[in-house]
Amino acid sequence: MIERLGNTATGGYVSESSAVDVQPVHGEAAVISAHGLVKRFGGAVAVDDIDLAVAPGEIHGLVGENGAGKSTLMRMLAGILTPDEGMVRVGGEELQAGSTKSAIEAGISLVHQELSLVPEMTVAENINLGFTPTRAGFIDRGVQRRVAREALEEINVSVDLEEPVSRLSVALRQFVEIARAVARKPRILILDEPTATLTPAETEYLLKMLERLAKRGMAIIYISHRIPEIFAICHSVTVLRDGKHVDTVDIHDTTPDALVSLMVGRELEADLATRREDAEFGDVRLSATGIRAAGVNDVDVEVRAGQIVGLGGLVGAGRSEFVRATIGADPRTGGEVTVTTDGSVHRITSYQSAIAAGVAYIPEERRTDGLALSMSVSDNITLPNRQKMSSRYILQFRRIAQFAKGLADDTGLRPPEIERNAGDFSGGNQQKVVLAKWLGREPSVIILDEPTRGVDVGAKAEIHRLVRALAGNGTAVLVVSSDLPELLELSDVIHVVRDGRIVGTLSGADADEQSVMSLASGEAAGSVA
Amino acid sequence: MTVESTIESNKTPEPANDEVGVEQQDFNILVWMSQQGVFVFTALLLLFAAIFIDGFASVDNITDVFNRAAPIGIVAVGMTFVVISANYLDLSVVAQVATSAVLLIAVSNSSNMLLGMAFGVLVAIVYGVVNGVAVGVFRANAVIVTLSTTFIGLGVLRWQSGGSIYFGDPDGVIASFGKTEIGPFPLAMLVLIVVTLLMHFVLTSTTFGFMVKSFGSNREATRLAGVNTPLLVIGAFTVSAMGALLGGWVLAAFSNTAVSSMSDGFDFEALAAIIVGGTSVFGGKGSVLRTLLGVVFVSALTNIMVLSGFGFGYQQMAIGALIVLAVSVDALARKVGGS
Amino acid sequence: MTQNTTLDLGNEKPGLAGQIKTTFARRTEGRAVVLLIVVSIWALIWESAVFTAYEVTLGRLALIGLTAVGLTAVILMGELDLSIASILAVSGVVMASFDNVFLGIVVALAIGLVIGAVNAFFVVVVGINSFIATLGMLFFLRGMAFVISDEEPVLIENKEFALDFGKPLVGEFTPRVLIFILTFIAIQVFVTRVRVGREFYAVGGNREAARDAGIPVRRRVFTGFMISGFVAAGAGIIVTLQLTAADPTAGGNALLTSFAAAIVGGILLTGGRGSVLGTLLGTASLAILQVGMTFNGTEADVQNIVIGLVLFIAVITDPNSIRAVLGSTRTLLQARTASST
Repeated sequence: MIERLGNTATGGYVSESSAVDVQPVHGEAAVISAHGLVKRFGGAVAVDDIDLAVAPGEIHGLVGENGAGKSTLMRMLAGILTPDEGMVRVGGEELQAGSTKSAIEAGISLVHQELSLVPEMTVAENINLGFTPTRAGFIDRGVQRRVAREALEEINVSVDLEEPVSRLSVALRQFVEIARAVARKPRILILDEPTATLTPAETEYLLKMLERLAKRGMAIIYISHRIPEIFAICHSVTVLRDGKHVDTVDIHDTTPDALVSLMVGRELEADLATRREDAEFGDVRLSATGIRAAGVNDVDVEVRAGQIVGLGGLVGAGRSEFVRATIGADPRTGGEVTVTTDGSVHRITSYQSAIAAGVAYIPEERRTDGLALSMSVSDNITLPNRQKMSSRYILQFRRIAQFAKGLADDTGLRPPEIERNAGDFSGGNQQKVVLAKWLGREPSVIILDEPTRGVDVGAKAEIHRLVRALAGNGTAVLVVSSDLPELLELSDVIHVVRDGRIVGTLSGADADEQSVMSLASGEAAGSVA
Repeated sequence: MTVESTIESNKTPEPANDEVGVEQQDFNILVWMSQQGVFVFTALLLLFAAIFIDGFASVDNITDVFNRAAPIGIVAVGMTFVVISANYLDLSVVAQVATSAVLLIAVSNSSNMLLGMAFGVLVAIVYGVVNGVAVGVFRANAVIVTLSTTFIGLGVLRWQSGGSIYFGDPDGVIASFGKTEIGPFPLAMLVLIVVTLLMHFVLTSTTFGFMVKSFGSNREATRLAGVNTPLLVIGAFTVSAMGALLGGWVLAAFSNTAVSSMSDGFDFEALAAIIVGGTSVFGGKGSVLRTLLGVVFVSALTNIMVLSGFGFGYQQMAIGALIVLAVSVDALARKVGGS
Repeated sequence: MTQNTTLDLGNEKPGLAGQIKTTFARRTEGRAVVLLIVVSIWALIWESAVFTAYEVTLGRLALIGLTAVGLTAVILMGELDLSIASILAVSGVVMASFDNVFLGIVVALAIGLVIGAVNAFFVVVVGINSFIATLGMLFFLRGMAFVISDEEPVLIENKEFALDFGKPLVGEFTPRVLIFILTFIAIQVFVTRVRVGREFYAVGGNREAARDAGIPVRRRVFTGFMISGFVAAGAGIIVTLQLTAADPTAGGNALLTSFAAAIVGGILLTGGRGSVLGTLLGTASLAILQVGMTFNGTEADVQNIVIGLVLFIAVITDPNSIRAVLGSTRTLLQARTASST
């Protein structure tokens, strides 16, 4: 098992104290334990009756797909969110719910998934933020520097204490963030996907550091999508799925494959039969070659008429960045993009040229980028179709009403009231509005980024039906999705992206959840295609 | 940005994924006030004034109110576009109104009126483009940008005019325009009504007005719909500049004089009218017709204060307080009422 | 990428040249220094009286600088305070209305604090943009200054004190310059050495992170607005003493110059970035510019144009704007390409 891991594509995490010789400290009382934690958002249950216990010196892995409830659970442990039910105990004493302060005082430190540093403050100041040492109100710079230096020494990272954080590399910021957590001398350290932005070498460095900290008796909860990392350092691992606790296992009693199937957990759906194994695809509609941008490193993708191409991979792998750079929504530093519509070839040099060439883009962030929530459904539908809906710059309301009504019906908007504000609708129906507004343009290429995130099951099925119908009519479809069943169900071909590159291409027929996940998490190497 | 964090850290969780898909909204007094309050308050104010304030309901007084309301109203109607586009306001209307008035009268006196109007149009375009480029292209803060253009513009005007008062030809076109009345309605009021209706049409029925509104509601979604957003902001500031231009002309005609200080206070009286009318400073929501109602409210209030012997200071206090109160109601209504 | 032994995390290499470069790159005062050098050279060549009659220049610096430095505290948190101009007028009028100068000063300063707190209330409790809240306050207080003063300048009873106030106190320094220097030092120390003040940067730079770290954000915003109100009230008192009368229209230009000084000085309007020293440098360049122009007979209106231009250029050349302009221009110019395809 361990040998196999040592040969992985990421260079392997060769640790002096690999999982074999460190026994989890069984029998010793857990330093932190969660009892029956429940958290609901609106009607959805994000975390459903979860228990968790971690002993001092133990590195406890926490895995699960996107939306499994990992971050919510951690935010409750750190006192940022108040649980609806259940409680957290530290050293046997109950923690005051929803209080960051009492969590910190009890010795819990959370390293956030997103960087939470203040850009213009120095490294030393950031490490001390919130508990800046003072003497008579004045900052005690000596102590501040000492605390920062000790924390950085503890994690063995050297950085100029007086450097403003804005001038540090992303990786270094991540380490400063960890130093900040360590500086509070926590008994429990929680890390939420700390390696998402790190290179393999940096990741290895971080993992060794965590093992060192654990040896000194710190309890560590380590959240990661990357299975090899879990096997490299964790003593035990808890699997969450759909907000529920699936299993907690000793790392020796499991294998990467077993873990992945615990995470995925579903039987393969019979629905897969609808996938077109040998669909006849048309000409190339979207061709992107050598795309480079922030977080995207030389990616080529081609989508043909009638084809659904899926982009799989972990969050932060660079899929959304690739899509946005391709169509010019964000600047790209290199690469060529052409869109072929009705036989004429358009070079894409800006977002507006992409739209004019027949591209429709459904962004990841529906509420911030996709919809004007304070405007009506019909207004939102009119926005990208304003030229068609007007004559000589004057809006034709009868035409708009008819048009919007038709699209609302086509997409199955419920209730089909096009004069209501978009903000009044549920997530699934809002997404239908976003789809409707772009379908109105009869796009030649449609790009969907996480099309069903936060959408209920019924709306999800309808959106899938719409996407397939689009492809059936000859539209070229590019789907970015972190939802594995969705990706598998929709895609004719799947490119798996990791660290801004395509690391593998699977045909729809060959792909299954394990093969995509293995490529995405770097467990398996190479390209199947 | 990851799936979990965006969903889970969302402070205002999405409405429940129920099949119906629409949230029921309970009646809320703040929401009601921010949306419908102006109708009731204006009616109450007018009723109150007609009954208790001596001289308010006379034809002469009403004509006077209209004469003062017209230029401010025209400015406010133009500025509504800037406010709806979520760019707060255009402070530089003060400089623009005075410049257009002085240009009209001074150039009419020295050469001819049409030339004065042509210069005015040119200056208005410069204002619209300079403010619009700074805000739309450079993404600079509209308040600070228009604060600086106000000082530059007023500086240029005072420097060139020496702060002197220009008197129009008492028998000229401008003077006779200012004097013409139809019943209690001065011609200026008619101009205001025509401008309002026209701008109402532009805001509600043209693609430009539509895009301004949607930009104010969500600028990123508007950009992603393929809209040339920098150009749109330049457009909004140019509309505001055109309102100020016309407002300046009407103001000059009313008194048949022009001086660089004649438009002091236009910035906040226009803003007060816009906000009281129910256009949101948070952008995306508003109406030109409501701005007209706001103008009626603000002008009536000012007039009542004048008739009751409250001086300029009290009027400013009242209007400052009105702005803060109206925005507070809007802000609180948003907190309780969601969108 | 070096493996195993050392980890290259992109940290800068030391060395003298590197250190100098680093020090420069860390500073935010660049534009202020450039402007200061340019206007100093201009003044040296054309109006060296700016430096020989330095007490005039210093007096001007103190006048512009006081409100600018107070304003800086608020802008560092990503908020604006437009009401400073009116606070200046109101505090002057209130102070002059008292027969006892000292009582007047105390009451005026207290009013500054209260106004600051009211501003902060609307910003953090009600949730209005600080520009709009303080703009409303600007109009409201301007009216109040008129009401209190009955639209006339208010003469100070105790002329002696006012006249003494204009005389040098320590060496060549008049009390007004000394007060400015002390205020500058106090606020500089406050935002660099005092925990509460230093946390202003966290509030402006990353409000969410500040909250997560347990910093009481609301309380910090209150503190900032109260500093700004207090300092503006102090400026109003000084202006009044200097003129021996309170002018209810005072402060109109203070708004322009304070914002120009702060923004030229490198204070980012969105917060979290900049230094009080930058504001001082910005103030110094504006003071030299104004005094120089006054000496060479430039009309007040032209001076306003110049200061207005400085503010305009400063606000469109901050780092965020420069970044935005690249993307925006692309969108603006691509419109034609898009429609032709």
